[in-house]
Amino acid sequence: MRIEAVRSAFERFLEVVVIVLMVTLSAEVTLGIVYRTIGSSLVWYDEVAAILLAWLTFYGSALAALKRAHIGFPGLVNSLAPRWRVPAVVFAEACVIAFFALLGWVGYAVLDVLSTDFLVSLPSVSVAWTQSVIPIGALLFILAEVLTVPGLIASARGRGAIASSDLAEKLH
Amino acid sequence: MEILVLFGCVLVLVLLNIPIAVALGIVAIAAIVVTQGVASLPNLPVVLYNGATNFPLIAIPLFILAGSIMNASGISRRLIAFASAVLGWIRGGLSIVSIGTSMFFAEISGSAVADVAALGSVLIPAMERRGYSKEFACAVMSSSATLAVIIPPSIPMILYAVIAGTSVVQLFVAGIVPGIIGGLGLMGMAYWFARRYNFPVEESFRLAHVWKTFKEAIWAFLMPVIILGTIFGGVVTATEGAAMAVIAALFIGLFVYRELDLAHLKQAVIEGGVQTAVVMLLVATSALLGVYLTEAQVPQKLAASVASFTTNKWVVLAILNVLFLILGLFLHSAAAIILTVPVVMPLVNAAGIDPVHFGLIVTINLGIGQQTPPVASVLMTACAIGKADMWEVTKINVWFVAVLMAVLLLVTYVPATGMWLVDLLYR
Repeated sequence: MRIEAVRSAFERFLEVVVIVLMVTLSAEVTLGIVYRTIGSSLVWYDEVAAILLAWLTFYGSALAALKRAHIGFPGLVNSLAPRWRVPAVVFAEACVIAFFALLGWVGYAVLDVLSTDFLVSLPSVSVAWTQSVIPIGALLFILAEVLTVPGLIASARGRGAIASSDLAEKLH
Repeated sequence: MEILVLFGCVLVLVLLNIPIAVALGIVAIAAIVVTQGVASLPNLPVVLYNGATNFPLIAIPLFILAGSIMNASGISRRLIAFASAVLGWIRGGLSIVSIGTSMFFAEISGSAVADVAALGSVLIPAMERRGYSKEFACAVMSSSATLAVIIPPSIPMILYAVIAGTSVVQLFVAGIVPGIIGGLGLMGMAYWFARRYNFPVEESFRLAHVWKTFKEAIWAFLMPVIILGTIFGGVVTATEGAAMAVIAALFIGLFVYRELDLAHLKQAVIEGGVQTAVVMLLVATSALLGVYLTEAQVPQKLAASVASFTTNKWVVLAILNVLFLILGLFLHSAAAIILTVPVVMPLVNAAGIDPVHFGLIVTINLGIGQQTPPVASVLMTACAIGKADMWEVTKINVWFVAVLMAVLLLVTYVPATGMWLVDLLYR
């Protein structure tokens, strides 16, 4: 019950982040069109929009992990008997966590190097600040995985499928 | 050999239900570390970040958002009413109305699953009430939803254009005629079923009723005309057109139809954000794989080995068609594009195939892949809505898929089908 409350609060937090990024991205691109139309193009428009997309990618990915929405192929694991399914689920989760742990660690280490680089169109903004999304996003992804693992293992122990959320299907 | 080992490793991880994006990342990092050593590790976060900062891909979240907002604004009901007024007098009218509505909805939505989810929830039960079998209803909705990725805007087309480095606008234009041909072909097949099983006529044709429903749906028609018109006319880029679509959808939902509430809007934004992140993470991790593929010159080696066998572009297209049809059985369209397009592009270029033409072929191929089990996202959504067995639906859907296959062959071997409009407008 306690983990469910944490999961729910974490989901609400990530939803707010995603909403803010989506709205800001839409507004920023629209603003870029308006300024260009009146003959006064914003020099930072492309660069900032691309940064917002990268942030949406990594923060949104953590939310997608929490909703089990990333595109996968659960068919084979679902067809296994529970005694094989549980180790398969644990192995898969360990691989995902290890991948993001490595990414987070290397991503954090490289920030120091990037702190002397600045955006082309906004020279006061450090590249390290924009790329902090990699270690932070990796940490949030790991947290999302950890919070969903107990439910996933419980499903793997039972007879039900461990299929991903239907959100994963909606893009096609 | 390298490519077989690489994709073999990805396959094993994916079969263990590791998300495809993560599986790509793991294999890419392993390959890079093995060939270049651990000293290359600090470059990887930068590559990953840069992979996610591709400006043209901003069109993806914006088109998803615009489609979600329009759907939450009651547009589906108005499109169905108009299509029914125009096509309902034909035998088997409701199935033909479903296909016609899908064609209209395709101009707003770039996603086939969004199309089938929005329209199927209304039209599948309606067809059942009128005596159609639920399997037939699901097959019609599922196959016609494929038009959403062929008729612009189209999310797979945006993804392909960015990865292949070609024009998304030209690709959008190339999809118009094949999309219309596909829609008419599906209507022909539905009519054949209607004559055979004596499906009912819906309503008599009345011009006054057509005009009334047209006026109610006019914003649904105006929006794509304005947005796509400005994109095709070179007034705005595809990304900017997508931002305009969001603003227009908000305006229509809040002030014209007045059916868009905050709860719907919030849900639409979150779903759009998550769907974008899912695809963009794939794009970002595929950039890691790209580092290795470029370093090892794997795509060039593949192109050279196929070229030693044949350089005939029609044979190469046949090989690639078979490859994409097989991939479509097992992969979601975004994953299939991201995994294979960077690898096959040198081959496509070496064979002298127009990348826009090839993009259209890939899109139709993967649209068909959404209809073919075991991994058939659109078909599965239709079956979930209609509570029908996927394999029973497939027995009927195979006829509609045959129509889409005919369109694929036409587009492949008569390139002018899609390309004449591109040549006329841009070349």
